[in-house]
Amino acid sequence: MKSGSVYLDNCVTSPMAPEVLDAMMPYFSERFWFPGSFVSTGESTNDALSGFAHTIAAAIGARDEEIHFTSGGTLANNIAIKGLAGSAQRGHVICSVVDYPDLLTNAAWLEKQGFEVSYLPADDEARIDLVALKQAIRPDTFLFMTTIVNHVVGTIQPMKEISEILKAADHKIYFHADAGQAFGKMPLQVDDYGIDTMSISAHKIHGPQGIGALYVRKGLRLAQTIHGIKRADNLQTGGLSIALIAGFAKAVEMNFADLPGSIRQLRELSDYLYARLQEKIDHIELNGPMGEERAAHNINVSIDYIEGESMAMMLDMHGITVATGSACASQGLKPSYVLMAIGKNHVQSHGSMKFTLSRYTTREQLDFAVDKLAEITTELRSRSPLYNAAKNQEK
Amino acid sequence: MQYSQKVLDHFMHPHNVGKMENPDATATEGSPSCGDQVTIFLKIDKDSKIIEDVSFLSYGCASNIATASIITDLAKGKSLEDAKKISYEDAMEALDGLPPVKVHCSVLAADTLQTAISNYEIAHGLKEVPDFGKETILAELKKIIYPQVGTDIVTLKMVKYVGFSDGEVLIDMNMMSFDSWRENVAEEIHEHLDKYPEVKKVTINFP
Repeated sequence: MKSGSVYLDNCVTSPMAPEVLDAMMPYFSERFWFPGSFVSTGESTNDALSGFAHTIAAAIGARDEEIHFTSGGTLANNIAIKGLAGSAQRGHVICSVVDYPDLLTNAAWLEKQGFEVSYLPADDEARIDLVALKQAIRPDTFLFMTTIVNHVVGTIQPMKEISEILKAADHKIYFHADAGQAFGKMPLQVDDYGIDTMSISAHKIHGPQGIGALYVRKGLRLAQTIHGIKRADNLQTGGLSIALIAGFAKAVEMNFADLPGSIRQLRELSDYLYARLQEKIDHIELNGPMGEERAAHNINVSIDYIEGESMAMMLDMHGITVATGSACASQGLKPSYVLMAIGKNHVQSHGSMKFTLSRYTTREQLDFAVDKLAEITTELRSRSPLYNAAKNQEK
Repeated sequence: MQYSQKVLDHFMHPHNVGKMENPDATATEGSPSCGDQVTIFLKIDKDSKIIEDVSFLSYGCASNIATASIITDLAKGKSLEDAKKISYEDAMEALDGLPPVKVHCSVLAADTLQTAISNYEIAHGLKEVPDFGKETILAELKKIIYPQVGTDIVTLKMVKYVGFSDGEVLIDMNMMSFDSWRENVAEEIHEHLDKYPEVKKVTINFP
């Protein structure tokens, strides 16, 4: 079996749609021009960029000029967080212990710069604690940031409740959202939640790698963090690939042509996967919430008595790509901080498997993956002292 | 990070895997809470003291399974005296090496074999239960691998001072505050020392 022929790690990056490649090609060749004024080449690129921004803005209920292209989600997060902090100069920031590393590493950096950060706890399904949010707000709190869909267990944060709490504060608290896992996977209109800045990325919805965008609410001024010549954008200065932006817009167009339909398709696939896992493998449990509070593309389970790197490697030998929260599979030999923060123990984290699906995932692929995982589970359990001990206890 | 073909072979098709009925000696090392655990079973000829059969169970990653597999291969058919010389370096060599971050797996496998042998010797009056002291602590610290380079923390001179009195272990470590492996090494130290009934408290000081 070819490497990655059953690819179930789409939350990291997803295969590019063939239509996206087609949409990019002219901008790699005859239409290579940067934006510019008064000359037909530059003006035609201006027009193209406006069209691309419009497509992306429409997907999140934003105005065209609120879309700023960046080289990806991480840069978008950095420009927003450092920009808001730079404008505030000092003060207090709130995020949570289950946030995406982009937010947590920025929070750590802010602390080093003298800002204070409160890290909200999360419940056992990775929902942030709203009571703690209310209590954490201080007169000098200027920023709340969250990861809309948790990158490990797919939890959709209670955005409506969060926005109401932020609005009820007696001063303005900016709301930055990382929508890396949420964009294209759930209905998401920035005005519904009073979002001020939001990062999105192309390659997680079958667009090209290396391009993303930052939504910045009109009228909000971010301190400039990247200085240089303005080409395609004023926040990420310097050149940006027009071709990648074209591909991004095409991916958005395809994903959002029928968003409810594509969410339904993912939901059906992930429900099917979880049902098949439960049917074929015993001593297995879902990590994170069930149903509508979970992003449609994510299934994360812990399989008792065996370890994730072994499972992932054996699946890989059958051409199946998945992710695990096992410490053994991480460069830092640490279990998943998200699973640990929601009350799972080391063993549950070591035995965790994350499947993230895409529009190209088929039921046949899921059947194949579950059948192989069931075989692997039996094999690894036969080698496991924990399983042998548990079996002895049952006797 | 990549595994050698030998590691993959032993991972996919491990030798001597499975629980042994009525072993002459057994040992379990590691803990699931720290990521891996190995059990080794030995069948030893009473007279010749030759390891006639050996098997293992492993809860852990690919290198954990592969190193347990190779260590049982190395021990099989050897006399206890010869088997006592089998080190984690031998296991690594036989597997054509391991990534530095995985060296600790081979230490666990070698350690489990040595504990099983020691358990046999104690049970058969071939040796006394060793007194617990600074020597034991140092021997345990030598089993802790600094994952960045794959060498133990004693050899790397990361242990500045070891003290032991009234059940309290005091260890001064030489690891900088920006070293991201500090927490990992501290956890390992606890895992290795907390299992001794003589140890009531372990204090680790970093600069």
